[in-house]
Amino acid sequence: MAVYKISYVVIGSDHPGGIVNSNDRPKIGDQVIIGDQVFETIEVFELMPPRKDFHYIHVTCQPHNPE
Amino acid sequence: MLKEILESVELFVGLSEDDLDEVAAICEERSIPRGDILVKEGDAGEELFIITGGFVEVLLETPRRVVANLGTGQITGEMALVDGGPRSASLRAISDPTVVQVIHRSDFEQLCSKNTRLGYIVFRNLAADLSFKLRIRNLSER
Repeated sequence: MAVYKISYVVIGSDHPGGIVNSNDRPKIGDQVIIGDQVFETIEVFELMPPRKDFHYIHVTCQPHNPE
Repeated sequence: MLKEILESVELFVGLSEDDLDEVAAICEERSIPRGDILVKEGDAGEELFIITGGFVEVLLETPRRVVANLGTGQITGEMALVDGGPRSASLRAISDPTVVQVIHRSDFEQLCSKNTRLGYIVFRNLAADLSFKLRIRNLSER
């Protein structure tokens, strides 16, 4: 089963971001919880080539502000 | 159950079922309440942590700031395991509870010496993890 090792960088906030494994590939528009805060994904790209079942993904996100 | 968890940790990619049994045998599970410190910057480091539930935050003391959150599947404490130096940052649990598997340095080194193929694979994976962290560190400076 594929495992996505995802690094999150947060813009528009001083939140430090994070690194989390997921079984789902992230996509633009996703909401994600890092620590105890919710963010919205605005950029996704592959950081390094996959190794076996592991995929290395970089995500840029911003604080989620529901209207 | 523990073996299934270890299979989804990058550090153990490429290990056989028997290898994973050997790793599982040296793991110790700890459940950490929110707010508790796992390691303190500057202390001697003798343990590697694998986060299997919740998040920890990585704290630098001077000036005091959080530099990252690490969630399920991530390893931490690996720098002290590799270079033998003091802890480069503090780690605090921010989920209630945060669950980690702990591997002691002496057990880890003994296993890698006894099973050199396992040792080669784990250290190659450790290098890949450090490379990943360096790449995202560079990206965060964009």
